[in-house]
Amino acid sequence: MIPLRPGLWGLMAPVRGRIILAMALAALGMACSITAVVALAAVLDLVRGGTPDLPLLDAEASAPALGFLAAALILAGLSLRTVSFIVSHRAAFDLEEGLRLDLADHLARLPLGILITTGPGALTKIIQGDVRALHAFVADSTPLVARNVAAPVVSLAWLLVIDIRLALVALAVFAAGMMAMRLAMKDYATLRQRYDHAREAIQTAVIEFVQAMPVVRLFDDASTSFGRYQRALEDFRLVFKGWVQASGVAGRVALLVLSPLPTLITVLAVGLVLMAGGSLGFAGLAAVLMLSTGVADALLPLMWMSEFIRKSRAGALRIHELARERPLPEPAAPRVPADASLVFDAVRFTYPGRETPALDGVGFSVAPGSVCAVVGPSGAGKSTLARLIPRFWDVDSGAIRVGGVDVRECATDTLMNRVSFVFQETFLFHGSVLENIRMGRPGASLEDVQAAARAAQIHTFIESLPEGYDTLVGERGARLSGGQRQRLTIARALLRDAPILVLDEATAFADAENETLLVQALATLMRGRTVLIIAHRLSTIRDADQIVVLDQGCLVEQGRHDDLLARNGLYARLWQTHQAARSWTLRLPSSGVLA
Amino acid sequence: MSAPSSPLPRFRDTWRRLLAVAGAEAPRFRRAVAWFSLAAVAQGLAFSCLFPLFDALLGPAPDPAPDWGRVVFWLLAMVALAAADLVLSWKGHGFEYDGTIADVTHALRLDLGQRLRGMPMEILARHRTGTLSATLGSHIDEVVVPMGTLSQVMIRTLGVPLTVIGVTALCIDVRLALALALIFPLAVPLYRHQHRLAARERRDGAAAHARVEADLIEYTQGLAVLRAVGQTGARAQRLRASLATLRQVQRDALMASLWPALLMSGLMELGLLAVLGLGLLWVGGGSLSLAAVAALLIIVMRLGEPLALFSELTKTFVLMEAALERIEVVRAARPLPVLPASPRPGPKPDDAPAVAFENVSFTYAGTDTPALVDVGFRLPARTLTALVGPSGSGKSTLTRLLLRHADPQAGVIRLQGDDIRTLAPEALMRRLSVVFQDVHLFNDTILENIRMGRPDASDEAVREAARAAHCLDFIDRLPQGLHTPVGDIGGSLSGGERQRLSIARAILKDAPLVLLDEPTAALDTQSERVVQTAIDALVQDRTVIVIAHRLSTVVGADTVLVFDQGRIVEQGAHADLVAANGPYAALWRAQEERKAWHA
Repeated sequence: MIPLRPGLWGLMAPVRGRIILAMALAALGMACSITAVVALAAVLDLVRGGTPDLPLLDAEASAPALGFLAAALILAGLSLRTVSFIVSHRAAFDLEEGLRLDLADHLARLPLGILITTGPGALTKIIQGDVRALHAFVADSTPLVARNVAAPVVSLAWLLVIDIRLALVALAVFAAGMMAMRLAMKDYATLRQRYDHAREAIQTAVIEFVQAMPVVRLFDDASTSFGRYQRALEDFRLVFKGWVQASGVAGRVALLVLSPLPTLITVLAVGLVLMAGGSLGFAGLAAVLMLSTGVADALLPLMWMSEFIRKSRAGALRIHELARERPLPEPAAPRVPADASLVFDAVRFTYPGRETPALDGVGFSVAPGSVCAVVGPSGAGKSTLARLIPRFWDVDSGAIRVGGVDVRECATDTLMNRVSFVFQETFLFHGSVLENIRMGRPGASLEDVQAAARAAQIHTFIESLPEGYDTLVGERGARLSGGQRQRLTIARALLRDAPILVLDEATAFADAENETLLVQALATLMRGRTVLIIAHRLSTIRDADQIVVLDQGCLVEQGRHDDLLARNGLYARLWQTHQAARSWTLRLPSSGVLA
Repeated sequence: MSAPSSPLPRFRDTWRRLLAVAGAEAPRFRRAVAWFSLAAVAQGLAFSCLFPLFDALLGPAPDPAPDWGRVVFWLLAMVALAAADLVLSWKGHGFEYDGTIADVTHALRLDLGQRLRGMPMEILARHRTGTLSATLGSHIDEVVVPMGTLSQVMIRTLGVPLTVIGVTALCIDVRLALALALIFPLAVPLYRHQHRLAARERRDGAAAHARVEADLIEYTQGLAVLRAVGQTGARAQRLRASLATLRQVQRDALMASLWPALLMSGLMELGLLAVLGLGLLWVGGGSLSLAAVAALLIIVMRLGEPLALFSELTKTFVLMEAALERIEVVRAARPLPVLPASPRPGPKPDDAPAVAFENVSFTYAGTDTPALVDVGFRLPARTLTALVGPSGSGKSTLTRLLLRHADPQAGVIRLQGDDIRTLAPEALMRRLSVVFQDVHLFNDTILENIRMGRPDASDEAVREAARAAHCLDFIDRLPQGLHTPVGDIGGSLSGGERQRLSIARAILKDAPLVLLDEPTAALDTQSERVVQTAIDALVQDRTVIVIAHRLSTVVGADTVLVFDQGRIVEQGAHADLVAANGPYAALWRAQEERKAWHA
C-alpha cells in the first residue's frame, strides 16, 4: 500500500533498502576512484626515485604493486558506479509500477465523486506524470547525491592527511567561490520567482493562442487575438531581459567558481612555494593537484540535482494527497435488497466545498417495474440525484434505499448488481466490440452478447464492420458515431440485466436515423425494469408512470404528464418551451412560404 | 523503424537550425561560438603549461634540481591563459547575459505565431495542440534559451582535449598523443551512439508511456463502469499489462544504454590507465620524461569533469534537436497563396450568387476517399440553405472549404462572384460569420470577447449585440456585468450562455454570410430555446447555410442540399423533396415516426 509518510523519502519506502544500497555503492565507488589518485601520485614519485611523502603508505611498497593497486581501484570505482546505477534504476522502475498499481487500486475504492471534483485528466496526470517525475529523483539523483557528497568529503580527508596546509588552501579557494556565489545569488530567489511567473504567463498566452487558432482565423485582425499574443510576448521580453541581465552576475561568478583552472593554479602556486621551502615532496604536490578540484567539481551536479528534486517534490505532494483521500466506507454487515424498488427519503446533499445544497429534502419512491422521469431546468439537481445512487458521494442526511436497503448498507458489488447505469457520456474501452459488450457480464456467451446487441439495435451495424464482433472500437470509441456508442452501452446494460435502471438521457443524438434506432433500443432496455430516467429534453417521458419535477434542488411537482400539465406549474412551462424548441423552424423573412 | 524524423540529426543540420533560430542575431551567435572556441583553446593551452612547468620542476634526469625561473615563468603563463579563458568565455556568454537571447526568443515566438496564423487549417489540424503549444512555449524556454551554454559545453568538451592532444603530439610525445587521441575522440562516436540510443529509448519509452497514459485515462474515465463490473484495482488486467510492459521497456533501455554510458563516463578513467601504463613503460625505457607523464595524469583528471557533464547533457541535446526540428516544421509551412484577382468572367457582383460551388472535389491529405465529389450549387443572396445527410457525408467539409481551411483539388468556390482564393484571409473572414457547437472564449472580459467580432465597435454597439443575442439576462446577473472577466466565471457559463456569446459576436461582426453548424445539438431544452431565439436575431437579412440534424428546423429553407458520400444526391425545397419520395423523404418519415413514440 502507499506509504502515508509525506515527502520523497516517504514515497520511496517500498524500495528504500535498495536505494540506500545504491547510494552506499556509489559513495564507495567514489572513494575508490579518489584513493586511486593518491596511489597514482605515489607511483610517480617512486618511479622518479623519491620516497613518497604520503602517509598510510607501506614503506616497502613498490611502483608496480602500487600501479596495480591504482588500476584495481580505478576499475573497482567504475564497477561500483555501474552496479549502483543498475540498482537504483531498477528500484525506480519497480517503484513506479508499484505506485501506479497502488494508486489505481486506491482510486477504485474512493467515492466516484472524485472523478467529478478532481477530474479524470488530473487524476491521470498524478498517476502517470507525477509518478514519472519521481523517477529522476529515485533513479538518478540518489546515487548522484551519494557520489557528490562522498567526493568532497573523501578528497578533503585525503588532502588533510597529505598536507594540511594545502588542504586549507583548496578549501579556502572553494569557500571564497561559495561566498562569491552567495553574494551573486542574493536576490536570485526573488528574481527567479518573477521570471517563473512571467514564464507561466507566456505559457498561458501561447496555449490560448494555439488553442484559439480556429477562432483567431475567423476574427483575423492584428489588433485583437494576435495582438493579445504579441502584447504577452512584449511583456515577457522585458521581464526575461531583466532576468538574464540580473542573473548574469551570478552566472559569470559561477563560471569562475566552476572553472577548474583557478583552484588548480592557486594550489599549484602554494604547492610550489612549499616545495621550494622543502616541506612538500613531489608525490604530495601531484596528489594534491589531482584531488584539489574534486571539491568544486561536485558543485555543478549538486546544483542540477536540486532542480530535479524541486520538480519531483511537487509531484510527490500531489501523489500523497491522492493517497490520503478516504476510501468509500463499506458496510460492516451488508444487507441484501429485497425487491426492485427505489426510494429517495428526504435526501439532502451539498457538494464538497459548496454552501448551498444541490438537493434539499427530496423524497419520492419508484415502485418496482415502474418508470419515473426526473425533469427540471438545468442546474436543478437532476444528474446529482442519479449520481447519488451508485454513491458518487454519500448524502448529508436522509437516505437512498434500493429494495428497502440504504445504499450505504449495501456492499458495492451487490449494489452494482441491482442497479445498472447508462450515463450521458458513453464509455467504451479500447478493445473489441465483443469485449466492450461483454463487460456487462464477464463470462457471457457469444450468443448472449449477440442477443443483447440485437435487442439494442446494433447487431446489424456490428455485422457490417470488417471484423464483426472482433472489430476494435478505437480509443474511447472514437471510430463510432455517438448514436452507435450509445447503443453499444445499452447492449452492455441489457447483458447486465439488473432489475433497476438509471438512465441519464443523452442531450445530443448523432443523426435522425440513429435516433430512431436508439429510441427502439431504449424501449427494449426499459421493458420490465424499474427505471429512473433523467430527462434533459422531455422527449421520451410523456408516458412515464411518474414525473418528478426538480427546481433548485427541491422537489416542486410530482405526478403524471396530464395531471402536471393541468396544474399549469413549472412542468407545464417546461413542456411549452420544449414544444416551442422542437417545432422551431429557421426561416428568413425574405424566404420560405412553407409551413 | 523507418520514421522519417528519427534519423540522428547531423551536427551540421543542428548548427544550421541553431543559426536559423537565432535569426537576426545569428552573427552574434556565431561570434559567441567563436569566443567559446578560443576560450577552449586557451584552457587547453593553460593545462599544457604543466608540461614545461613539471619539466622545470623535476629538472633534467641526471641532476634533478628545479629550475625555479622557468617554473615561475610557466606558472605565470598558465595564469595568463586562464585569464584569457575566463575573459573569452565571459564575452561568449554575453549572447545570453546581455539580453540578446531575450530578443532571439521574442523574435522566434513572434515569427512562429505568424506562421501559425497563416498555416492552412488542414495542416494546422494535423498538429496536436499540445505539441504546438510546447513548441512555441516551454521548449523555447528549456531548449532555445540555453543554446549558448549548451554550445559552450559542447565546444569545451571537444576543444580542450583536442588542444591538449595537439600540444602533446607537437611538443611531448607523438605516441602518447596517439593513445589519447584514440581514447578521447572516442567521445564523439560514443556520444552519437548514446544519442541514438537516447532517441530510441525516448521513442520506445514514449510509446510505452503513452500506452500507460491511455490506459490510465481509460481506467479513470471508465471507473464507474469498471466498478460496476468489478474490474477495478488489481483486477484491471489491461492496466497491469501495460504497466508491466513499461517496466520491461525501461529495463531493456537501461541495459542497452549501460555499456555506452559506462564507457562514456569511464573515458577519463580509461585515459588515466592508458597514460599510467604506457607512460611508465616508456619512462622505464627512457624514451619519455616522468614530468610529462605526471603532467598528463593531472590534465587527464581534469578532462574528466567536462566529459561527465557532456554525458549528462546528451539527453538535453536530444531534446534540443527534437525541438529545433519541430520549430523548423512550423516555419516550413506555407500559407495558402492568395491568387491575383482576375477580371470577373461571370455576372456582375450585384446579381452574382452569394455563394457558388463550381464542380468542387476535395480529398483530405493522407486519405484516398474523396470527401466531396463534383459538388456544384449557387445560393442567391439572403436565402436559407440547409445541408442534410448522415455524418461523414461531406456537410462539414463543405463549410471548411468555404472557410478556406484547405483548397479543393478541383473546382472553384465563389463568394459574391469572387474566387475565394483571390481574397486575402482578412477579406474572406470579413464576409463570413460562423456559429459552431464549441465556443472558444478568451481569457478576457465578456465585453472584449464579444468585441472580437468587430474590434472597433463601441461599448454601446457591443451591448446592443449582446441584447440582440439574448445575452443581457445572464450578463447583467454577473458581478461586473459586461466587464466580468471570463476566467473568473469560465466554468460557470452554461453551454447555452457561451453559445449566445458567440452569436453576439457574429451579430456584431455583421457579415453577409452566416454558417450555422448544429449550434443547438448539445444543449438542453431550455438553453436550446433561447439560443434559437438568438439565432433568429442573427440570421435576419443574411445569406445562411445551416447544418441541422432535426429536419423540422430546416423545413423553411429555400434549398435543402442532401449529401451522401460526398455528393449532393438531392436538392430542392422541403415540400418538393418530400414529394419526390427519395432519401430526404425517408429521413423525414423516420423523424416523424420517432416523434410519435414515447416511453
